[in-house]
Amino acid sequence: MTVQTERPPSGPADVRKADDGGPGAPTPRAASRAGALGPYLLLLPACAATVLLLGWPLLKDVLLSFQNLNMAQLIQHATEWNGVDNYKETLTSEDFWRVTLRSILFTATNVALIMILGALIGLLLARLGKRMRFTLLIGLVLAWAMPIVAATTVYQWLFAQRFGVVNWVLDRLGWHSMADYSWTSSQMSTFFVVTVLIVWMSVPFVAINLYAATTTIPNELYEAASLDGAGAWRSFTAVTLPFLRPFLYATTFLEVIWVFKAFAQVLLFNQGGPDRLTEILPVYAYVEGIGNQHYGMGAAIAVLTILILLGLTAHYLRIVLKQEEDEL
Amino acid sequence: MKRKLVAAIGVAGMLFSVAACGGDDGDGGGKAGADGYAGQTLTVWVMDGSSPDQWQKDLAAAFEAKTKAKVKFENQQWNGIQQKLTTALSEENPPDVFEIGNTQTPAYAKTGGLADLADLKAEIGADWTESLNQSSIYEGKQYAAPWYFANRVVLYNKKVWADAGLKDTPKTRDEFYDALKTIGDKTDAEPIYLPGQNWYHFVGLVIGEGGELVKKDGDKYVSNLDDPKVVAAAETYKKFQALSKAPKDKDEATPQQGEVFAKGNVGAFIGMGWEAGIAIKANPEIEKEIGYFTIPGETADKPEGVFLGGSNLAVAAGSKKQDLAKEFLKLALSDKFEGQLAKLNGVIPNKESLQSNLEGNAPAEAAAPAAAVGGTTPLIPEWAAVENAPNPIKTYLTAVLNGKSPAEAAKQIEGEFNKRLEQQQ
Amino acid sequence: MRRSLFGRLWPNVTAVVLFVGCVFPVYWMFATAFKPTGDILAEDPVWFPTDITLEHFRTATGVEHFWTYVRNSLTVTVLAVAFSLIIALAGSFALARMRFKGRRGFIVGFMLAQMAPWEVMIIAIYMIVRDASMLNSLVPLTLFYTMMILPFTLLTLRGFVAAVPKELEESAMVDGCTRPQAFRRVILPLLAPGLMATSLFGFITAWNEFALVLVLNKDAGAQTLPLWLSRFQTQFGNDWGATMAASSLFAVPILILFVYLQRKAVSGLTAGAVKG
Repeated sequence: MTVQTERPPSGPADVRKADDGGPGAPTPRAASRAGALGPYLLLLPACAATVLLLGWPLLKDVLLSFQNLNMAQLIQHATEWNGVDNYKETLTSEDFWRVTLRSILFTATNVALIMILGALIGLLLARLGKRMRFTLLIGLVLAWAMPIVAATTVYQWLFAQRFGVVNWVLDRLGWHSMADYSWTSSQMSTFFVVTVLIVWMSVPFVAINLYAATTTIPNELYEAASLDGAGAWRSFTAVTLPFLRPFLYATTFLEVIWVFKAFAQVLLFNQGGPDRLTEILPVYAYVEGIGNQHYGMGAAIAVLTILILLGLTAHYLRIVLKQEEDEL
Repeated sequence: MKRKLVAAIGVAGMLFSVAACGGDDGDGGGKAGADGYAGQTLTVWVMDGSSPDQWQKDLAAAFEAKTKAKVKFENQQWNGIQQKLTTALSEENPPDVFEIGNTQTPAYAKTGGLADLADLKAEIGADWTESLNQSSIYEGKQYAAPWYFANRVVLYNKKVWADAGLKDTPKTRDEFYDALKTIGDKTDAEPIYLPGQNWYHFVGLVIGEGGELVKKDGDKYVSNLDDPKVVAAAETYKKFQALSKAPKDKDEATPQQGEVFAKGNVGAFIGMGWEAGIAIKANPEIEKEIGYFTIPGETADKPEGVFLGGSNLAVAAGSKKQDLAKEFLKLALSDKFEGQLAKLNGVIPNKESLQSNLEGNAPAEAAAPAAAVGGTTPLIPEWAAVENAPNPIKTYLTAVLNGKSPAEAAKQIEGEFNKRLEQQQ
Repeated sequence: MRRSLFGRLWPNVTAVVLFVGCVFPVYWMFATAFKPTGDILAEDPVWFPTDITLEHFRTATGVEHFWTYVRNSLTVTVLAVAFSLIIALAGSFALARMRFKGRRGFIVGFMLAQMAPWEVMIIAIYMIVRDASMLNSLVPLTLFYTMMILPFTLLTLRGFVAAVPKELEESAMVDGCTRPQAFRRVILPLLAPGLMATSLFGFITAWNEFALVLVLNKDAGAQTLPLWLSRFQTQFGNDWGATMAASSLFAVPILILFVYLQRKAVSGLTAGAVKG
């Protein structure tokens, strides 16, 4: 929760904007005074839900993280406080740091691939003829719409050791050692498949939205650029990119969150195996906590996982904080 | 269909209970009233495939006749069962009776989640086979009742063996190896399907060598994988696995080895007798080709060591129907039903007097000689943590099969293994 | 000449390759589901199923309680999406259109809520639900699924609301509408694409969830489709035909929904996303 205090508001932003005038002028005074409570009332259900359904479990999780909670304690409903033991043990364990590093690399790789491929495909969509664009859009939407659990089983089948179509193709392409290759047998091959899966599922969101965003760029901007003698590349960097920047930021933020939390894909594809080598933080917390029945320890890892995710996204949240000052 | 029927009976039972007493079925407290236990329903968790539908049906009928109460069987998957059982035992309405793996029993006994069954043992347990009852006893108390046991045999394809010119089944480990070699040389079949992580077979080999997977170091248990006896077992495993094309990083259930065998192009595999059923389901043609023999040991006079897998029945300490649950156990473990289970499933019953039920059952007859030299994983509460995925013993096997020396592999997983053994309970 | 031909050619060729890459896994799922086992386990893949069989679908739907799972999944998903839409609509209107103290705090708060890794908090949720005696019920599931999709719905809808020209609303109010009336008559219809886009997301999230229901609901009567699907691997070994049939059944509602709503949803989603 550190991100919220990064920068004190530079001034009474809300008030400053109020006398903006123009067509967006304030509504009549009487109405606005009566509606002073309005926004809070409108937000009340959302806030109540968040506090009750997210805040409470979160608090409970923090409390559990200070307990020695294993099979016996859970069964007997016993509460055994053990201070910061769980944190001490987690933070001093080599495994935890290895998993953290792995999670960050995993997230970075996937998000980079998703954003680059997504952006390229989005720009490609803009260049395509109508019919071709529609075809590709349908393809993207189908990949996008595949539910995770179903998609993961499909990938297990595509990459199955025996009768998997990927191995067959590789064999036919002359890579005979792959004919009976077990994709779940090593860390890198498992990550490879999981990455293909995640990129495949995530690129459509970026591509389709980026394409839609480019269609909203006013043509005059390009015309002006070409009058200034800008080439294709120049007008891309001078017009397209700046226009898309807020979109790219927002999408990257979402992808970071989604990939970092890619729990189902990793757990269902190879259970974090082989040899626990593909566990990312949420899976690690799950396996330690629920799988190995060290619930208190799992809770501590969960808290740390949340803190790490906050750290990863702090930069973006700070931008939003700043941006919001200028809005409205 | 039958399962549905049982469930339907259970539901009907609950409806009936509401109608009869106008209260929830817990308020009888499990005590027999004037009308017996009428209106109550006992929930029993059994593992998928461990008891035939026929057995469940007959038992439910007999139980109802005796107590007037219903029984509802719920079939569970092995995968993730520990987590499910632990949380269930912490809940208000745990399953009243449940099947629990013999190696997992000590850990649960320690949690206080299992009811003390001393009186049951006194009443019906006098002639339980002592070695089979060991896992149910923790710190001198009886926390479960032995139910059924089983061990692995060799299932072989008679046609493939005949094609290779083999007439007899092997009696020693070397003969076994030579026979498989011959299949490899003379036919295009895979001599044996042995995935790298059939760790129960490996445990059997360790038992055969007289070794132990863990040793005591002061007051805690630590890895004993670098013991020469364990190393010898690993070498044996590796030698046979080299004859197989099976994946080195998978266990016998992914894919089901029975299904692989069903294709008819595999000479043999090491599995439970009932795995033949999987093969027959996948390919009915294979039924007439399946033969069984005891896993040959180093010498002809002593079969190979086997892991004596099995299950106990336990009563949840939190169950509100303790008496009814014990009534159920008395019936389920009676000679009639224990014998029927042995006969139908070809499993080893909890007392020797019932072993006659195995006659004429080829896989069970092949299994029985080895049961005498069988053993289990260490019966300590700490062991349960070891079996949680990813099981370090499986990791160890894969490492050895992928070329690491047993010593190196032992070193590689020692940390994880020891960590699990010393995990807080 | 040559260059322009090339220039016209490569985007189309790339598009075809991408199309195949996107669609093949989905196609292969359906193709496998309809193929007889012999064709599935063939040394050379059978690319186009010729012998169509419904055998695998029978296996998949023949699982005990199948229709209960379907009913539960639909109930929980639809209710969670509906609840979150209603709650989010109110909140998003406040955040997009009103000025008040702490507005930024609310926005960042919901962004934080969006980041919550639910799977790691399962044991805490389990204990809360257990101690409230609400296990094996669809109620907690619905509530938590609502919460899982609420932040995204709220933040995205806020973008949509902000994209509706203020002038429209104001002119409606000049015409004598109250603010709620203006909202209902003017803004709401314009928000339709946004509502569709966010409900798609909500639908897919709730439809997919399996870790929470696995721990909370042990009774088959209160379980959902993702559990049924994920159990296939263990129950059916590598019966890929049945597994793919199950996956197909599971995916079809979402696929239909997406393709059907795709255009409306997509056009608006950008507005939301750009607004961040």
